[in-house]
Formats: sequence, C-alpha cells, structure tokens
Amino acid sequence: MKNFAYVRANSVEDAISRTTNDRQAMFIAGGTNLVDRLKVFLDEPSQLVDVSRLEMKQIERTNEGGLKIGALVTNTDLANHIEVRRNYPLLSRAILAGASQQIRNMATVGGNLMQRTRCPYYYDTAFPCNKRQLNTGCPAATGINRIHAILGASESCVAVNPSDMSVAMAALDATVEVQGMQGKREIPLIDFHRLPGNTPDRDTNLEPGELITAVILPPLSFAKSGVYLKLRDRASYAFALVSVATALEVAGEQIKNARVALGGVAHKPWRAMEAEEFLIGKAANNKSNFEQAAEIALKDAKTLAHNGFKVELSKRAIRRALTVSAQGGGIV
Amino acid sequence: MNQVIGKSVNRKDGRAKVTGQATYGAEHQIPNLVHGYLVTATIANGSIRNIDTQQAAATPGVIAVFTHKNPPKIFKPTNNWMTSKIYEARLPLSDNKIHYAGQIVGLVVADTFERARDAAHQIKIEYETHSPQINAQKANYQQATSIFGEDMEYLAGEFETGDISVSGAATVEAIYTTETEIHSPMEPHALVAHWDNNDSVTIYEPTQWVKGSQRTYAELCGVPQEQVRIVSPYIGGAFGCKAFPWSHGVLCVAAAREIKRPLKVVVSRRQMTANTGHRSQTEQTIRLAANKDGKLRAIKHIAKSCTSPVEVFPEPCTGITPVIYATPNMHLKQEIAVLNVGTPTFMRAPGENPGMFALESAMDELAWELNIDPVELRLRNETKEHQRTKLPFSAKHFAECLKIGAEKFGWSDRQMQPRSQQQGELLVGWGMAAAAFPALRNRAEAKIRLLPDGIAHVLTSANDVGTGAYTVIAMTAAETLGLPVENIRVELGDSIMPNGGMAGGSQMTATLTPAVLTACQKVLETAKAQNAKEAFANLRESGLTAYEATASSAPGEEGKKFAFNSWGAHFCEVTVDEEIARLRVTRWVSVINIGRVLNSKTAASQIRGGVIMGIGQALMEECHFDPNIGYPVVYDLATYHFPAHADIPRIEVSFVGEPDLNFNPMGARGCGEIGITGVAAAVTNAVYHATGKRIRSLPITPDKLL
Ligand SMILES: Cc1cc2nc3c(=O)[nH]c(=O)nc-3n(C[C@H](O)[C@H](O)[C@H](O)COP(=O)(O)OP(=O)(O)OC[C@H]3O[C@@H](n4cnc5c(N)ncnc54)[C@H](O)[C@@H]3O)c2cc1C
Repeated sequence: MKNFAYVRANSVEDAISRTTNDRQAMFIAGGTNLVDRLKVFLDEPSQLVDVSRLEMKQIERTNEGGLKIGALVTNTDLANHIEVRRNYPLLSRAILAGASQQIRNMATVGGNLMQRTRCPYYYDTAFPCNKRQLNTGCPAATGINRIHAILGASESCVAVNPSDMSVAMAALDATVEVQGMQGKREIPLIDFHRLPGNTPDRDTNLEPGELITAVILPPLSFAKSGVYLKLRDRASYAFALVSVATALEVAGEQIKNARVALGGVAHKPWRAMEAEEFLIGKAANNKSNFEQAAEIALKDAKTLAHNGFKVELSKRAIRRALTVSAQGGGIV
Repeated sequence: MNQVIGKSVNRKDGRAKVTGQATYGAEHQIPNLVHGYLVTATIANGSIRNIDTQQAAATPGVIAVFTHKNPPKIFKPTNNWMTSKIYEARLPLSDNKIHYAGQIVGLVVADTFERARDAAHQIKIEYETHSPQINAQKANYQQATSIFGEDMEYLAGEFETGDISVSGAATVEAIYTTETEIHSPMEPHALVAHWDNNDSVTIYEPTQWVKGSQRTYAELCGVPQEQVRIVSPYIGGAFGCKAFPWSHGVLCVAAAREIKRPLKVVVSRRQMTANTGHRSQTEQTIRLAANKDGKLRAIKHIAKSCTSPVEVFPEPCTGITPVIYATPNMHLKQEIAVLNVGTPTFMRAPGENPGMFALESAMDELAWELNIDPVELRLRNETKEHQRTKLPFSAKHFAECLKIGAEKFGWSDRQMQPRSQQQGELLVGWGMAAAAFPALRNRAEAKIRLLPDGIAHVLTSANDVGTGAYTVIAMTAAETLGLPVENIRVELGDSIMPNGGMAGGSQMTATLTPAVLTACQKVLETAKAQNAKEAFANLRESGLTAYEATASSAPGEEGKKFAFNSWGAHFCEVTVDEEIARLRVTRWVSVINIGRVLNSKTAASQIRGGVIMGIGQALMEECHFDPNIGYPVVYDLATYHFPAHADIPRIEVSFVGEPDLNFNPMGARGCGEIGITGVAAAVTNAVYHATGKRIRSLPITPDKLL
C-alpha cells in the first residue's frame, strides 16, 4: 500500500485544515472500515488525520429535549446510553443489530455514517467499478446482484449503503452537524447520503475537508413505539438483506404520525415518506393499512437478476414492523 | 490400567492454544525472513499477453518478482498417492495460460509484507481474454473418472445392479442441488520455507499429511526426502484443504531456494476464495421406488459436479448410497464438467455430505408419500451388508442411533402433518436424517520414550488438525502404561518423527492409536515391566537415559471379511416465522455409533463441529462466481457466511455401540466427518414439516422461504 503520513489532529480546526489543504488526506476514527479498505487498495490517502482523540465524545440533552451525539461517540456507548435506550430504543437496537461487540467498541458515529458499501465488485480492484473509478462500468448490474439495490439505483451503480444506524437515524429525523473551513452547517440525515446517479463515487453530500462533528436527534414523542427489524442471511454478524425502522403515534385506534425507513435497499437509508403520509389518519388495528403502506413504499422498486426477492421481503418486513409498532414497539 | 479411555479429558493443547503459545505455520520467527505476496489472475479464461513487472521490481524493499517468464526451478513430481501428491496437477507459473480467476500468475518477494503486497498491486498484466465457462447448468458433463483420475474405482460411482426401472407403491424422483462451499479454516493457508545451503529445506506449513508433504516437496525440489523437513505442530482448521501442497506452497519453497532467504507466503482470505480449494456445487437426481410397507425396491442416484481445467476432482456423492439402505435394484452414476473455476477438493465428508443431503431428503419425501414415519422407514430398510461389496458390517448400531435419538428428542410427540405444530406466531418443524461415514484406517508408526523423570514421551509425525489427537494419543499411552495423562508428553507434526499417517478421511485416531498402544506394550517389554511405575524403577536402576520403542500398526485381512462404517441419526427442531422468512434451528439431538469413544469430550466436540458446519451448509454457505468475469463474489469471512453463535442451538450428542474390535485393537472408528453427514437433510426435512415447503436447493436463505 502506498505510504501515507499519520497525524493526530489536535483540534477540530486542525483536522479540517489538513484535509482541506490536502485533498488526498482522509480522516480516521475507529478505523474499522477504513483500515480494511486501505489493505485492499480502495483508498490510497496521502495522510491519515486521526480525529479519534478529539473532544466529540459527549451525548448531551438539547434545549428542544432531543439529543446531541458527538461524532466520536462509539457505537457501543451510543447503543447503551440510558437516554437512547429509553427515548430512542430503535436506534439502540439498530446499532446492536450491526457488526460485532468488538467492532462496535471501536466504531464511531461519524465513521458509521461514512462507511462505504459492501458491494463485492467495489471491494476488489480485480473488478471494474464506477464507484471506485468513474466510467469503468458496473459489473454488479449484470453479475451476481442478490444483495444489491431495488430503489433509487442508476445504471452506473446498484450498490447499497450498509449502515444500520443510519436507517434508524433516518426514521428519527436526525440532522448531521458538519464543520468545514467556512464553519458549521447542518444537513438532514435523509439528505446526507446520495443516490448514485452518474456520480456513484460520491456517497454523501459532505464537502471535501468537512468533518462530521455531531448528530442531532429531535425529540420524538412516539419514539418508544420504535421497531428495528433486520433480515439477513445469518442470525448475527451479517449486513441486512433488508431492514426496516418504524415508529407510530396512535391515538385511540387512529394513526397520527408514522415513520418508515428502509435499509439494504438503496444507495442511502431510504425514508418512505409517501407510505408515512398514507398511514396518517388510518386505523392502526387494520393490517391491510400496513400492507398498503408497504405497497406504496416499494412501488418504484426495480429489480435485477437476483434481488427480486427483496421487494417482497421489504414489504413483509414493513408490515411486521408496523404491526409491532402499533402494539407499542418492541423486539422482532 | 487406570481406565482413562472413554472419559472426558480436556485438550492437552488447549492451554497453549488459548494463551498464544501454540505456534502456527506463519508464526515461526526466523532471522532474515522475507515476505512473498501472490499475484493472481483477474480473468478466468485466456492467457497473459504481457506482464509488466518493472515498476514493481523497482519499488523499495522488493527482492524478486517471479512470473511465468522467470519461474523458480520446480521439478515435475510423479504426483500419485504413493509417492507425491499436489492438489493441482499444473505447476505454478508453468506457462502463460489462465484457467480460472485467482490463479497464481506471480510472486513478489520483499523485505516486508506490506511492501510485497504493494509491489504485487503494481504489476500490470495484459490478457487475451476468452469468455469463461462458469455456468454449471450449461456445462458439458461426462462420465466421471475417480478422484485425481486415479484408480479408486469405488469413488468413480458407476454401478448398476438389477432392474432400475421397477416401480413400487410409491416412487419419488427429484433433483437436489448444493452450492459451492469454501473450507474457510480460521488459520489461512501460509508457510515459511527455510533453505540451508541449497540442498536441504525446513518447511513450516499446516498440513494434514506431514510425510506425504515431505515426499512431495522433495520431488518438487529435486532433493532426497531426508533433506526436507516439515514442521506442522498445530493447525488452525483444515477440513480437507490442507492435505497436499497447493501451488502457493510449491512456489514459496522453490522461490526461497532461488533468493537464498527464508521466505513466508500467506494466502489472503480473498485469494483463498479462489485458489486453495472448495467443495464443488452439485446437482443430484434421486429416484426411489418402494413397496407399500416402505421396503425400497430401487435407488437411482446420478450426481453431477464440476472441476477445474487443471485437475480432476469429482465430488464423490454416490459412494455412500449403497452403504445405508438395502435394495435389490440400484443405479449409481457420477458425472463431471470442467468450469473455469479453481480446483475443488476434499471438504469434510467429501461426497457423503452432499450425497446424503440428496438421499436423506428423498427418503423423507418417500416417507410422506407412503405415510410412514421417517424413522420407521429407515429402520425397515436397514442393511446388514454393504450393497456393493456384499460384506457384512462390523459392530453396526444404526437402528439404536435411530431409536435412542427418537426417544431423546421426543419424536413420538410429533404431529405428522406439515404445518401442524405452532408456537405463538412461529411454525415449528421436526426433522431427522441418518448420518453415515466409512471407517478408514491406515498404517502408522509411533515412538515411545520412558524418561527418568517419570514422563512418557510419544513422538509421531501425525498431527492434530484441531480434532483432539494430542489428547487421545496421550490417553492411549496413559491407559496402556498405567500413568496419569499429565505424565504423557506428546510431540506431533514433524517429519523427523516416525510416520504417523494422515489426518484425513476421519482416520487419524483409528490409524494412530493402535500404533501408540503397541509401542507402549513394546516399551514395557523392553523395560521388563508390567507397567510404567516398574519400568521407571528399572530405568533408574539401569542407569540408561531412556527406554525406547517404536511400533507400527496397520490393517490386516479384516477388510476382506467386514465392511466398516460409522452410523448416526440427527433429530432437529426448526422454527419458521413465515411472514418474514426467518428460519432458526432451535434444538438438536445426534446419536452416533463410532465404536469405542476414546475421549467423550473431544469426540462430542467433533460431532458438534460437524453439525455446526452442516447447519452452515443448510442455511447460508454459498460461493457464487461472477457469470461474466468468473471471479468469486465473496471475498472474506464477512461475505462468505458460516454460522455465528446465534445460529446454533444447544447440540446434544450421545454415543451408542460397543468397541469395534474387528476394526482395530482400540475398537475405535473415526468421528471427524460423520457429524456433518445428514445434517442439511435433517434441516430441510424439518422445514418441510414446519411449512409444507420442500427445499431441494441449498442453502435455505430467506429468499427461498418467501
Ligand atoms: C466485519 C464487519 C461487520 C460489520 N457489520 C455491520 C453491520 O451489520 N451493520 C453496520 O451498520 N455496520 C457494520 N459494520 C461497519 C461498522 O459499523 C463500521 O465499520 C463503523 O461504523 C465505522 O466506524 P469507524 O469509526 O471505525 O470508521 P473509520 O473506519 O475510522 O472511518 C470510516 C470512514 O469514515 C470517515 N470518517 C470517520 N470519522 C469521520 C468524521 N467525523 N467526519 C467525516 N468523516 C469521517 C473516514 O475518513 C472513513 O472514510 C461492520 C464492519 C465490519 C468490519
């Protein structure tokens, strides 16, 4: 691998200025994704700017009653945080459904948001890949594409975002706080990741040099109804074939508010807004409403040779998750 | 006798392994060591038009770059079982042809691993590319020869007796498929080759067959056997993929000689998906015809598997079929096709494993067809003799496995109808299948030394692939000498020691422990003693430094009188959450008959390991090859799934039967492979019972349950 410099950033500003001045520089936090990528030549940075010792490890209550989560909070600490477990159980469960305890101990919130796809064609430089190098082609589209996208894919890329945490955060209306040379800005999580279009090389709307500093969760009165359902090829330690995050606000038997987000189906965590809108005002004790919501969420699905099953699997997962949310939430 | 045999004894090597004291192949520290990184082909069919190594050779730290243009000297081996054996007949870098993606096309040697890897990445190859043959369905099948094309007729599979076209009260015919599986041992393929003066070499490499490896490397290097030493004390899993040298090993040893430095080559996980073996995908057609009472009238079993362009390895699925059930009419056939994929090889219960998935699934289908309980159907078709050799089985307790297993599991409570058992929202299914694996034994030698400090030292070249060989050898010596197990020191896995045979085909225990037993008896004779205590007293009196004895043991004429096989039955429960296609295996009972159980703990662990691997095959293991490029699209242990703890229930293992003294003086048959046989069928049979859905294509991933 290409030699690179390793520097420990001594402040957020220091970190930002290094990556702004050197476009080949990269941040490293827990290293659980980046180091793997370095070993197989997916990234060849000039320097690694280690941000892991910076002060972004707090989880604080916001004035609005939500939570502000520092970008360096580990996945383990976030999942186990008492406020998260109490007020955003679906986030806690989504994180615990991912990776392994050892990896979660190292992995950070910022790194998790920035982890790249597990598309096998992206992962091996023996294959051409538009995400690695534009205009080289997408062999996944005509190859083995069982794990690939059914929503929002393009001709140039059919990869999916692998993060569980992001799916929960998408359902929870999270905002990503980032800081660059120009100062801070906030990006709604659902706009943070991108669809591939013809620029699949870009996963997110983070600008070069910008550092994720925090994720902000607004309060959500019905977060306790949250469900995270992850369906995969083995019971643990596998990425989602399909995952669903749901939450429902129910008054009497009527749905007042709904959240539905999907993972494993697109290049970004997929918020099913139209399905949510459909659910508002509907009866929570009528399963056919959930069936219809699932149909709506998947109506634009496009399949490839091997991933057709994901459409039906997603629909069923939505149905089930909503059913459990309607009963007050819990583990599926 | 202090009667330790049969007890539950902790692993002798356990502490060394968990504390990191056990040294594996790549961990041997040698001064001056340099590192090799393999360059592998990115196309699956064609040839190298040009290979540009200039930039790589010029990078800092690079010592040498080998390609087909300047291969290190490799002598052509005779390559047969008796003399030498390599996994792949084509020698590495022998020409510019590419037969499969991941084929080794170069080796870069540098002072550090990272520099070697980096330089390897900088090699530029221009290929002439032909479209690869990857699709097993469209491949061209032919009658298979035997494994490696050698004369092992029983594995070739073609066999016909009686009239296969007969029908009965019930007939089932179906096609069953299994996917390509990768061994995925925890310890990757890796070795260190250390030459001394160009004429003798020490090779630190995990190998299931130390002496075979010694002879093979000797031929490959053109040196006498005594000048090759193989050191392989610990192996982090093999499952059949570490029996002979692969191309990377051949290349490492040859290159080390050329560069005159000790050289280490570690195959990456990614590379291991392509060039160190796999179990071929299979497609099997089974037809069973039976009378109303369930008695089988005919079994047809046609198996197809694939091999690479550079070696012949059919997956011998039909070998076990004539062993299990009696039938007057039988047709067995094995076909093979060449694909542009790496060379398949032995993988835990080669043949028996996919073969029994098909056969035991078909038996379940037949049971439903006839409305006979599947346990009962098997009991009615039991055979006292091998259907091909007509030899009677020795110490066979298959019926007990079935009956005791059914009892332990509570099988009689089963509601017969599919979809009839529920647990809340979950469908519950119970399934069962037979397990069977031949009992093999070979010649082996062991040496015993009684030392003045009261220690008995056992030495043999055989090794422990993680099965518990260290422990059963110590137990055998302890029992025979009348010593505590702690007083036995066992040294394994070094070619300077007596020939201990091969850890493959579940034969190590059966092969080696009789030799240990005989050597112990012999050393007591030498010491003129009844037991070790007397021997040590005599030793001290004599002033000698040690009493020593070497003994060998080998099968005799018994194979002409008996067929030797091990038996078992698996019972399992699955739950299916139908709406979300979530399948869990929730309960497991295995009852196994392997003759005398030497160490109840490690034997049960072997069975459990087999069951776990079988559950992996049933639920998730599959390696797909890109249809256009031909490269596997799994690349590490996160993408090639095998079970995590959460996938595995408690596995209850018990053993039945008596010592099989016709087989060997210990009465012990092997137990490394039988555990995996039948497992996948037990699971799919349970899934059928739960859901009414018959799954004939493994693995049962969620998409197949929708
Ligand atoms: C075997 C395995 C299984 C896994 N399974 C799952 C799973 O099931 N579900 C799941 O969701 N995840 C899974 N993961 C992924 C895991 O969650 C991520 O690797 C982890 O979250 C990354 O965090 P990190 O801090 O280690 O990131 P790093 O590896 O340090 O960095 C990852 C990327 O983020 C960038 N980055 C890091 N911090 C910042 C920041 N503050 N601002 C801007 N950019 C930043 C880095 O430059 C790099 O590009 C798995 C990982 C492994 C290895």
